[in-house]
Amino acid sequence: MRATFALKLALSLGVAFAALAAAPFTAPSARAAAGDDPAQRDARWLDIAKTMFQDRARQNGEAVISLDAPQRALDASLVPMTVTLSDKIPIKGIYLIIDDNPSPVAAHFTFGPAADPRQINLRVRINSYTNVHAIAEAADGTLYETVQFVKAAGGCSAPMGMSDEEAMKGMGEIRLKLADESSDKPARATLMVRHPNFNGMQINQETRGYTPARYIQTISVTSGDNKVFDLETDISLASNPVIGFGLKPQGEIKVAVTDSEKDHWEKSFAASHLSN
Amino acid sequence: MRRPISATESAARCVATVALALLLTGAADSPGHVPEPDGLWQGVMRGYTPNSVKGARVLDTAEAVRLIEEKTPVLLDVGPADKRPASMSQTTPWMPAHRSIPGAVWMPGGGSGTPDAQFSESFRSRVAALTGGDVERPIITFCHPECWGSWNAAKRLVGFGYKEVYWYPDGLEGWQTEREPVTVTPDPVWALAAPADQPK
Repeated sequence: MRATFALKLALSLGVAFAALAAAPFTAPSARAAAGDDPAQRDARWLDIAKTMFQDRARQNGEAVISLDAPQRALDASLVPMTVTLSDKIPIKGIYLIIDDNPSPVAAHFTFGPAADPRQINLRVRINSYTNVHAIAEAADGTLYETVQFVKAAGGCSAPMGMSDEEAMKGMGEIRLKLADESSDKPARATLMVRHPNFNGMQINQETRGYTPARYIQTISVTSGDNKVFDLETDISLASNPVIGFGLKPQGEIKVAVTDSEKDHWEKSFAASHLSN
Repeated sequence: MRRPISATESAARCVATVALALLLTGAADSPGHVPEPDGLWQGVMRGYTPNSVKGARVLDTAEAVRLIEEKTPVLLDVGPADKRPASMSQTTPWMPAHRSIPGAVWMPGGGSGTPDAQFSESFRSRVAALTGGDVERPIITFCHPECWGSWNAAKRLVGFGYKEVYWYPDGLEGWQTEREPVTVTPDPVWALAAPADQPK
């Protein structure tokens, strides 16, 4: 646990902002959830699924969606997740659900016409050993489901290893990096937003109290007049979020971020100036 | 050519490194070197804890597993409950699930270091009911690593005269490396005594 401090610190000091290589494409690997008590974990999932999707049927997503997450995470406050979608059927959006986190829905992406939804990367906090579900919602409303068991714990209460003031420095700063940009094929983008994403469960070592929750609620990305995606998220998103996604650039790329204090940040990027 | 580093210089660097390390961790004490407070701990509930509790024994995971199998101790989980952030929309699903050691009694807030007499009495009487008033009955206290709550709980129990108090500092995170935890709900009797500490 302590060994991760250096890593966390390095990341929060900006290494994350420099390490921009998009995660390598990984082959989909359907994997059953592990654990000695799958019945209780399944019951938990049914409870969440009922809350989220009511009685809508969910199908085995093996052919449609895959989730790549570490089986054992080195740092529970920065657990990398990669969701890969087949381009065989049109996908409206995806949900990333961390079953045992108190607020299980870590991310809900809704894709627009400028999206290339084949792969999304992001980093999340994980509170205890848990199943993580990725759900694809097809354009026709069908839900496709996949699951992965992740061994990580304590990510929600892990302090950032710096003062709150330090953690909030530059809050709302938005960076975007585009790779493979050309007029005729989709591009890969990495979006970085500076935000501590305080979840209300972290102790401030100086004031000896809990740092009040303050976290990103929405991130919207458009290109030209078209939506790339709208992301609804909350306290499960790691601090200083880094999100990898694909898009079909259709002109100026605009990123808009809103947090739980209703602060709003926007930044536009001229698509032609973004390539490596 | 590199200049050899003198002993003083090297010592100074070492001090600087340690000072930096302390700054980075944000704690005045380093892991493994936290002295036991005289009484209950009333500071930040998360942070480096001592290696011992006077009058109690410390368990690692293997020892905890064995003790639970052999002696059916009372298992007291004093881990805090998750609270919904005030700013979170009421439509966002909030479904805290507290995982613990099978058979544990979850008493969120039970690890408080408060000097309040009523709190102490509530804690004492609840534990007395759980042990059937038997001071020989083994009790294990736990929450999470670097959590003072289970340290305080063990400290109180020693003070109440329990003869076999065990502190399991690795807590749930230690347990789940070896055994499957289960989801538990707060102890209903304790919930009446500490309403502010219950899940919301």
